[in-house]
Amino acid sequence: MGANVAVEGVSRGYGAGASRVVALEDVSFTLAPGSFTALLGPSGCGKSTLLHLLGALDRPDAGRVLVAGRDLARFSPGEEDLYRRRTVATVFQFFNLLPTMNALENVRLPLLLDGASVAKADARAKEALLEVGLEGRERSFPYELSGGQMQRVAIARALSGSPELLLADEPTGNLDSKTGGQVLELVARLHRERGLTVVMATHAAEAAAVATSVLRLRDGRLEPRAS
Amino acid sequence: MSVRHLSLPLAVRPARRDRLRFLLTLFGVAVGVATITAIALANGSVLASFSASVDAVAGKASYTVSSDAGSLPEETLNRLAWLRGIGGAAVPAILDTALTKDTGDVVEVLGIDPLSEALVREHAVSQSKEVRRAGAADLSRLAQLLEPGTLVVTEPFARAHGLAVGSELGLVAGARDHVLRVVAVVASRGAAESSAGSIVFTDLANAQELFGKKGRLDRIDIVLPEGLSTESRTRLEEEIRTSLPEGASVGRPSRRTETVERLVRSFRVNLTALGLIALLVGAFFVYNTLLVSVLRRRTDIGTVRALGASARAVFGVFLLEGALLGVLGSALGLGLGILLAKAALFAIGGTATQLYVPTASPRLFLSPVTLALSFGTGVVASILSALAPALEAARVAPASSMRTGSLETAKRSSAPRFALLALGLFAAAAVAARQEPLAGLPVFGFLAVFCVVAGAGLLAPLAVTVAGRLPQRPLARLFGPEALIAQASLQGSLSRTSVAVAALTLALSMMVGVAVMVGSFRGTVVRWVSDTLRADLFVSPAGGKSGASFGRLPDEAIALVAGVPGIAHVDPYLAISALRNGAPFTIGSGRFEVLAANGTLPFLDGRPAKDVLLAARAGGEAVVSEPYAVKFGVTTGDLVELPSPKGPQRLRIAGVYSDYSNDRGTVSIDRDLFQSLYGLTGASSLAIWLAPGTDPDLARMRVLAAAKGRFALRVHTNVNLRKEVLRIFDQTFAVTWALEGVAIAVALLGVFHTLLALVLERRREIGLLRVLGTSVEGVKKAIRYEAAALGILGSLLGLATGAALAHLLIHVINKQSFGWTIATEWPAGFLAAAFTGVLLATLLAAERPATVAARTDPARALKEE
Repeated sequence: MGANVAVEGVSRGYGAGASRVVALEDVSFTLAPGSFTALLGPSGCGKSTLLHLLGALDRPDAGRVLVAGRDLARFSPGEEDLYRRRTVATVFQFFNLLPTMNALENVRLPLLLDGASVAKADARAKEALLEVGLEGRERSFPYELSGGQMQRVAIARALSGSPELLLADEPTGNLDSKTGGQVLELVARLHRERGLTVVMATHAAEAAAVATSVLRLRDGRLEPRAS
Repeated sequence: MSVRHLSLPLAVRPARRDRLRFLLTLFGVAVGVATITAIALANGSVLASFSASVDAVAGKASYTVSSDAGSLPEETLNRLAWLRGIGGAAVPAILDTALTKDTGDVVEVLGIDPLSEALVREHAVSQSKEVRRAGAADLSRLAQLLEPGTLVVTEPFARAHGLAVGSELGLVAGARDHVLRVVAVVASRGAAESSAGSIVFTDLANAQELFGKKGRLDRIDIVLPEGLSTESRTRLEEEIRTSLPEGASVGRPSRRTETVERLVRSFRVNLTALGLIALLVGAFFVYNTLLVSVLRRRTDIGTVRALGASARAVFGVFLLEGALLGVLGSALGLGLGILLAKAALFAIGGTATQLYVPTASPRLFLSPVTLALSFGTGVVASILSALAPALEAARVAPASSMRTGSLETAKRSSAPRFALLALGLFAAAAVAARQEPLAGLPVFGFLAVFCVVAGAGLLAPLAVTVAGRLPQRPLARLFGPEALIAQASLQGSLSRTSVAVAALTLALSMMVGVAVMVGSFRGTVVRWVSDTLRADLFVSPAGGKSGASFGRLPDEAIALVAGVPGIAHVDPYLAISALRNGAPFTIGSGRFEVLAANGTLPFLDGRPAKDVLLAARAGGEAVVSEPYAVKFGVTTGDLVELPSPKGPQRLRIAGVYSDYSNDRGTVSIDRDLFQSLYGLTGASSLAIWLAPGTDPDLARMRVLAAAKGRFALRVHTNVNLRKEVLRIFDQTFAVTWALEGVAIAVALLGVFHTLLALVLERRREIGLLRVLGTSVEGVKKAIRYEAAALGILGSLLGLATGAALAHLLIHVINKQSFGWTIATEWPAGFLAAAFTGVLLATLLAAERPATVAARTDPARALKEE
């Protein structure tokens, strides 16, 4: 089941004084559990900053970010780690697979970190790879896979631990349009089948089309909501 | 695009960004160069100081006549009187060593003939204020000045001992106290410069009296008329040779330096070989740093290649970077080395003088050749280490998209090939170990060591690969998922991790090899001491600060000691230095019948010492020490030729005995035979057996009391002497341990360096691990596991390689260098401690990289692309 998300009056800036850059300014929205939302906007509009805040990788200067009713800024370091292991999962533009691990090892890592045995984690990881259509490539290292295949491994990794919230940061940004379309389809299918909440940052309107709702960001501010 | 244009983007700027790593590399090279510089400078200084003393004493002499065994009869001078007829001169001298009574310092005493002295050596009165104030002596009247009981001192010596003209100086020579009056203070010029001014001059007859050398001479310096052709000089040298009595020879004065050089050669070569190990570890640093640079800059290299840079230019950039690291590191190393040499000079000088030549502390001599050689070695080693990474860089295709991972896989697949090459090297080592020494040096032994070490290094990639394939389930169950992260990283960065393992293996193997060798040597010496040092007391002339004892006890002292109540038997040991084919050895003598009845000598063939010694005494035969037998290739039943005033004496060898007291080699004969050949009295030391029930400490006190005021003796009880032997042994190997420490420290720095490089390079991956929910502690744990794996692999390989090196050091290098047979002992405690120590140290080295990794901000790390 997906988590509900509430972003309340969130601002975040970097640097100080004259060189201060405002990445987000007074952003507020809520997302229903199981929703698929696209954060649409040009590069530099604050999409990644917002995803980092949702992933508890960063904290807002003002406002609150609540996921499943919990204020992320109030997490202890231990709770943060636990949140990243169990509640949230992220898919990146550049895949971010560990180059020293093969596909299976990459996928099972979050499960192992969460205390699963190697046998259990392996079985679950194989299922996840099967789910993204990569059966037979378990032993392949990232450099032996195509961009689309790497992104599938990244998605399998994100979903192996049954998260409630999936964050996707330009997941098709580094893929050709055909492969990108297949990856989007996969994300949409998994969203439908699993009912998890998905937030996808993208600069492409056609990519945003697979989402059930769109939030437009421009210069760190949210534009009026459209569906 | 030229090397000049490419250097900025490919080498200079990245190096600036990676300052810490480059500084560590510089330091690695510097430590290696510093070590070899310090050893070479310190050894060179000892020899240079000795050589300078030899030259200073030789003065204008073209040749020096000396005895091949002991001293010359005075009548030799008459045989050379003809030289005066051709405008030359033969100037006699006594050159021996005494102690100052007040401070126990070693001082050389040159006994001179005042009438002919000016022909060979110049002396000038000191111009110092104090001396002028006291009234300078007239050196032109040297004969009148040097009355019996007087001496001339040098300016530094006078200053050090607070002497002026008219003061009295107490000297201990030949175990007796003497008081001499200072009649002149000479400037530090000519002979006065010998032994850094620790030299005094006295009349020849005076010196003969001091050292019990009546009617004898230590040397005759020959001055030839000026303007002679080389042919005439050679002819004259031949004429001098034919004029000499049996057992005397003529040669250039530098012959003495060559003899000492030969004595300390093995010692020096062994130390230098150890120093090179430190440099080898430094070279690993250069290789590692440049390889990491190439791997990191693959994309940049591909881009500049696409822009038209030639493969040769790319190769040039990285080779230049290696050379630059070598030049800077070596320059830093020279500075460090000079400082180290100053500190080490005392230690090495101490060891060398203790073992080979008792002399004053040598001064540091900065030989430009040594400095240039050390610098060159550092630069060449760095350039050679840069070759492989530079080739790797040159092979990068234009606009390369090849990722690091695929490169690592290529490396992994070459691991078995490296292992095969390692096997080949081990086989070569086995063959080299069976070869005879070259010119007395274990050249093939060192080659075998090199093959073993290089082979072990080549095994490192295989070891890491094997570790990477360890079953994951038990690993994860025992150590958690962080162990799997570490395992993947270990194998995924094979080119770096295997180099760290190799460096650690190299350093630890040398440490283990040397530790086993020294431990076994010590064990052997302890057993040998308990087998051979059976007497209750040992008496020798007092040795002062030097620790080593020199000079001879007169017969009266022997008689006096023998007469002390409670003393049952006295065996006087008397030894002289001799030369065989230019190589020095010792001719020793003792009362074989006393030794046969009371003591023992361990003969290699296991025969009872009593039988061999009594047969040798009856048959006029000799027994030789193992180093002598090995050095000159002789064995029981062969004939040994001893130079003597009665002509060369050919004696049959009755047996070969173990002896670890020196590596020059000793031929021992019965005292009666020795005295009939050399006409010498007195003893270098006495072994004393007490009557049953006599307390050794009490007997020692009695001997000292009886000698008080008459002879300056040093008396050791058996227990004390055994302790003293081990103390000298441990002091001798102190330098070796220091060098081992340096090699280990450099290798640990290598582990630190590797881990830090890996952490910096994997910021993004570490950030990702944090995003995936790895805790800060989990990241640290993974780095620590990786360090532990490097430590364990390096230690295991190091221990195994060390065992092989120990075998080579003990049975090949030591045996060929010094001639000693050593029984191998495995110091289990030390090996366990080394293993644990290295493991703990690697973990400690991982702390900083682990902290850096833990501090990684995941959001920022992921933004960096």
